[in-house]
Amino acid sequence: MASIDLDKMLAKIKSTQWALSDIDWDAPGAELITEEQWPKLKDFMADLMWIEHVGARAFAAMAKKAPTDTLREIYTYFHAEEQRHANAEMALMKRWGMLEGDEIPEPNINLRLVIEWLDRYSDEMPVYVLGTVVPMLEIALDGALCTFLLETVKDPVCHQAFEKINDDESRHLGVGFSVMEMQGRGKTFIGAAKMLAPLLDPRLMLGIASYVPLLNKMRDNIITMGLPEERLYAAMAKFEKIGGRTEDGRRNPWFQVIRQHARFVVDRNNRAYHLPVDGMVKLTGLIPRRALPAVPSWVKELTYQPTA
Amino acid sequence: MLIVGAGFAGLGMAIRLKQAGIDDFVILERANAVGGTWRDNQYPGAACDIPSNLYSYSFAPNPNWSRSFSGSEEILGYIHHLVAEFKLESHIRFEKNVEDLSFDEKKGVWTATTDKGEKFAGRAAVMAQGPLSNCSFPAITGIEDFKGHKIHSARWDHDYDFADKKVAVIGTGASGIQIIPELVKQAKHVKVFQRTPGWVMPRPDFATPQWNKKLFEKLPASQQAMRNLLYWTHESMALAVIWNSPLTRVAERVARLHLRRQVKDRWLRRQLTPDFTIGCKRVLVSNDYYPALQKDNAKLITWPIARISEKGIRTVEGIEHQVDCIVFATGFDVSHSGTPFPVKGRKGRVLGDEWQGGAQAYKSINVSGYPNLYMTFGPNSGPGHNSALVYMESQLDYAVKGVQKILQEDLKVLDVKESVQRKHNKAMQKRLAKTNWNSGCKSWYLTEDGFNATMYPGFATQYAAQMADFEENDYETA
Repeated sequence: MASIDLDKMLAKIKSTQWALSDIDWDAPGAELITEEQWPKLKDFMADLMWIEHVGARAFAAMAKKAPTDTLREIYTYFHAEEQRHANAEMALMKRWGMLEGDEIPEPNINLRLVIEWLDRYSDEMPVYVLGTVVPMLEIALDGALCTFLLETVKDPVCHQAFEKINDDESRHLGVGFSVMEMQGRGKTFIGAAKMLAPLLDPRLMLGIASYVPLLNKMRDNIITMGLPEERLYAAMAKFEKIGGRTEDGRRNPWFQVIRQHARFVVDRNNRAYHLPVDGMVKLTGLIPRRALPAVPSWVKELTYQPTA
Repeated sequence: MLIVGAGFAGLGMAIRLKQAGIDDFVILERANAVGGTWRDNQYPGAACDIPSNLYSYSFAPNPNWSRSFSGSEEILGYIHHLVAEFKLESHIRFEKNVEDLSFDEKKGVWTATTDKGEKFAGRAAVMAQGPLSNCSFPAITGIEDFKGHKIHSARWDHDYDFADKKVAVIGTGASGIQIIPELVKQAKHVKVFQRTPGWVMPRPDFATPQWNKKLFEKLPASQQAMRNLLYWTHESMALAVIWNSPLTRVAERVARLHLRRQVKDRWLRRQLTPDFTIGCKRVLVSNDYYPALQKDNAKLITWPIARISEKGIRTVEGIEHQVDCIVFATGFDVSHSGTPFPVKGRKGRVLGDEWQGGAQAYKSINVSGYPNLYMTFGPNSGPGHNSALVYMESQLDYAVKGVQKILQEDLKVLDVKESVQRKHNKAMQKRLAKTNWNSGCKSWYLTEDGFNATMYPGFATQYAAQMADFEENDYETA
């Protein structure tokens, strides 16, 4: 991917805005959700919505550390756009009768830990750390989940919403990969090593400790929903393919870290990785909700209502 | 003599001319009342963020300020008092909207032409139209589609009743943070749309006790002492606000503590924390802005605005925020590169053309090629840390010296030399490069290209010293 003109991208982002009220959430088609689909879809949508929301918070952190004004503004828009995706997905849940009253569905414990970490430490992280992790999450989880959703759900309103969401996401990925390349450009060995220094930062270690089990947890959820896990791995392979297509991209040490990690995740036979990580998933599952601090207030900004 | 504008600057000029024994002048005012910025900015909560004892003329002290930071109405009252006390009314011509100002070199006369074609002539002219006198609605997509009520902070609609209304406020600058607490008291719900948070300092605002007013009245020296104290306190703030110094960190720390003390929620605090060096944009002062945002009927929205629609404001998170009224606290149209009306100098030169790349003057007050013309708050005269009126006083006195010279020596032309002006600006921009204003944030101080034609890079004392001497050698005469 040739690197993109970020100023043009920003103009494009501004000129392609959409709102929840552009979609008729009461249009016919909700009945196309089968009874068998319904409970699985409910869990699936809740996970998806939370991933978007977590992505949103990550973009907010990146906006703080962005190296240029243009990139800062782009990330500010992406922050809001991810929130819009979460809002739209919640509106779909509402349409399908999956929300009890006005209640926001609970995030699973691993997402909850990631939310906690993002809230406390993400603003302190250098832009290249989140700048690599976020494209991975977007391409893998978003990518795999969205395709699966569109294949199995016949409701036209769902298709209408995801057409818009996917258009946004393609821009997010375009910028994401371009920035990864920017960060790798002309990096010497020492420069690259410096970029890896935050790995020794205990705050980042905590972040890794919440990110790693999240991926395995999501894999398990995907299997429960009936999506073959290979689909997830195929999406993760795209990260390696696109992120590593230029020398600059490959020179970004964080690309190498995330790529290597993805290889571990994909290889089910790698017991040295999966045994402890699956253990972590189980262990985190035992954390009582009461032990966690109250959810940060940005979480309460979610809404399924097109107008306020 | 011609004076354009009957705000603080124009009236102050008139007073100083009178005190110097020059009585033959007119003040051309486009509106039908005096007061300029303070006449226009009468929105709820409007106040000055410099203490009144410093934000007033030293040659016209007012012992009766009701508070340390007076409201807009009281300041306007002071301006009316100046007109009465110094008998200026007969000099003012209302509803004279100047559309052209031209110099006739042969006669040595400036002629102002109004929009109705009336002409006024004088041997010297003072442009006192004010830097913050024009405003307009911002160019947000869809603004003309909005069916509800629109109000600009600088043109307040006093007839609109906010009770039971859902209101949006766009802008959280100096005006916004004063309006918002008042609207939260009156309206049913207030949504505040913020693009960039500013640094907010606590405001030590107290009612003036009766004994204090009496003391100032009986013993004017005590009020002068108070003024001096305020002056030097503000001067010391220059070290924090104008240049990046250890005191800058202290000021940021004070603002952060203020935020932390008033806002408990971590995310809200994050939304309200600026990411630029304090002083780069105007420093805000308020005690009630943060608490107002946390009231049940208020909400801060930091999502970017996608567009304005028929019923409200659509933000990028996909939600349409429907409101009855939008208040635009979006500031003024500050010109860095043009003039408010065509100003034509020697040999047909037009000032607006010369200023296209950014306005430049000599000592902020004269421009080469435009003789006998004096500007108040001209290029590079803005203070970031002290009272604008302190700066104004030195400008007025400088202009009086120039006008006296023209009259005493019967000059047709008193024009600053181009080389002198160039040298002055070279030094000015060199000094500006080291200030916080030029440290990378976007603000109304700078042009789109980042040229600073607005602020004076130094202490008020340095500015006063710059204006104290009228160097005759800097000028050519005819």
